[in-house]
Amino acid sequence: MFSSLMLVSLLVLTLPIMSSIFNTYKNSTFPHHVKNTISYAFITSLIPTMMFIHSGQETIISNWHWMIMQTLKLSLSFKLDYFSMMFVPVALFVTWSIMEFSLWYMHSDPYITRFFKYLLTFLITMMILVTANNLFQLFIGWEGVGIMSFLLIGWWYGRTDANTAALQAILYNRIGDIGFIMAMAWFLFNTNTWDFQQIFMLDPNLTNLPLLGLLLAATGKSAQFGLHPWLPSAMEGPTPVSALLHSSTMVVAGVFLLIRFHPLMENNKTIQSLTLCLGAITTLFTAICALTQNDIKKIIAFSTSSQLGLMIVTIGINQPYLAFLHICTHAFFKAMLFMCSGSIIHSLYDEQDIRKMGGLFNAMPFTTTSLIIGSLALTGIPFLTGFYSKDLIIETANTSYTNAWALLMTLIATSLTAVYSTRIIFFALLGQPRFLPLTSINENNPFLINSIKRLLIGSIFAGSFISNNIYPTTVPEMTMPTYMKLTALAVTILGFTLALELSLMTHNLKLEHSTSVFKFSNLLGYYPTIMHRLPPLANLSMSQKSASLLLDSIWLENILPKSISQFQMKTSILISTQKGQIKLYFLSFLITLTLSMLLFNLHE
Amino acid sequence: MSLVHINIFLAFTVSLVGLLMYRSHLMSSLLCLEGMMLSLFVMATMTVLNTHFTLASMMPIILLVFAACEAALGLSLLVMVSNTYGVDHVQNLNLLQC
Repeated sequence: MFSSLMLVSLLVLTLPIMSSIFNTYKNSTFPHHVKNTISYAFITSLIPTMMFIHSGQETIISNWHWMIMQTLKLSLSFKLDYFSMMFVPVALFVTWSIMEFSLWYMHSDPYITRFFKYLLTFLITMMILVTANNLFQLFIGWEGVGIMSFLLIGWWYGRTDANTAALQAILYNRIGDIGFIMAMAWFLFNTNTWDFQQIFMLDPNLTNLPLLGLLLAATGKSAQFGLHPWLPSAMEGPTPVSALLHSSTMVVAGVFLLIRFHPLMENNKTIQSLTLCLGAITTLFTAICALTQNDIKKIIAFSTSSQLGLMIVTIGINQPYLAFLHICTHAFFKAMLFMCSGSIIHSLYDEQDIRKMGGLFNAMPFTTTSLIIGSLALTGIPFLTGFYSKDLIIETANTSYTNAWALLMTLIATSLTAVYSTRIIFFALLGQPRFLPLTSINENNPFLINSIKRLLIGSIFAGSFISNNIYPTTVPEMTMPTYMKLTALAVTILGFTLALELSLMTHNLKLEHSTSVFKFSNLLGYYPTIMHRLPPLANLSMSQKSASLLLDSIWLENILPKSISQFQMKTSILISTQKGQIKLYFLSFLITLTLSMLLFNLHE
Repeated sequence: MSLVHINIFLAFTVSLVGLLMYRSHLMSSLLCLEGMMLSLFVMATMTVLNTHFTLASMMPIILLVFAACEAALGLSLLVMVSNTYGVDHVQNLNLLQC
């Protein structure tokens, strides 16, 4: 019952894709069909989830045996354990709301049916990823979400920036895939399988290399520091794409992979320290970069990146279940933040710069409400959704035996979260309007209102709902000093007040010269500027020099032939005293010969 | 010395004089060099065949091989000169003049 319902739920998702062969693809109700399909899949998947919460029984469904390659058996198998059972309903719920939102947002797009088909294909590959029981199936889902991300970021393909952003996403993800394939190869060599059960049962000793590979894969897919520039550039895609892929589902795939391998990671202290430091660097760096951005979608993208860093930090302190809880709760309010920004953008006639917004507090009350509630949930205000995961993470990090510097950076990043959230609210909503007088501000569409309303209720209640209903996993730290318990709240309130004071104080001042710190933050730490120009130039010029200059010109031409000829010419000019009178030389030779023959022959 | 030998010896001498005394073309010198080689070859072959000294019949053939090599060298020098000047007048070879 449990397994068949889950399979039905997953299968239902693929129906609209199959029906695109027939004529329903051509008429204009296809998007509505897709949205309804996803809502049915969501409701169907709630039943197995509730059964799972009641009984705690995990399932593995192994359907179809594909092939055997010598000693490796590849089959289609679904792992329905705590992680996938909790993630599937959350992802389907968020996707349902986003589909409804994009019915309003992409209403005037002529290729809206293709858009929905792409979104649905993305959702299917994401489901394949989270329910995979072996690395091969996970890799299929992994690559699938990468490809759909490429297609969706470059949706408005007439725009050069969109094409380069899509290409950037693919390239950075590919670098991460190298790590993934290295891990797959290591597992194949050393544990003879790609199935999770066998890997965890065998518990290999030296797991440094595969876990490094998986960490690289997570760095690529989840935009950690080093492979992060694709995420802000991915905001070139339409807002539903940003809401679905780059906040809730695709970018958490990297974190999900590391969570899946937590039995191996809890035995390897080195990798845990690496993960912790990587996550701490990411969360602080992206939070600094978010402070001075002017595009509302980029600020939210950096916020996503910072929260992803926080999830990686959580894995680094050996708390995979908390990281997973943060994934689920983060999906709600981040998707809602993106949808609110989409509502603002559409209302101001495609204006994305927060310096040209303002005064929307009274003009768009519903969007204002949801934006403020989403920001509060993001920063971890007590008893909203974000509190249940974020506060627990900070508490656990504070009371665990971990790297103090990483902890400090995480705390600073938490306060910076409040700062840039205040910045968004201040510039977009408060003050006097800075947009053009002829406006089309309208948020009266039922699609928009219903979808945001659903996520709003989720943002407020989902945290407590999920936390109270899951079975106990790792025990959170129960006792700690009061000041430690209030650390997260204190730095958040500090961030809020600081940002508000600064904004109000400097609101009417003229920006004289950009300080170097401002430039560092605005240009994303100079990372894209340096990394997109210097290594390719170095690589290409080195290869050109080594191929044409070194091999051909120097070794084949210059070393022996030309050097010998030059040497000979120089020394012969230096040494000889001749004048080149060849005929005289020949003549003297002849006369000498004749004379000697006459002399030596005639005396006989 | 028999008449044939004197004949061939005379051919050799004429070619030698032609090699060492020529007017302006380097090509005539090379041609006389070839003539020298030819007369030497005929002389050697005749001597070997007359004295039935079969073991030495390698010598004219090897002489011919080396003559071919030197002819190639000489021709390449000629081509180099001709590339620079267009004609092979020997009075052009005055690079070493001070």
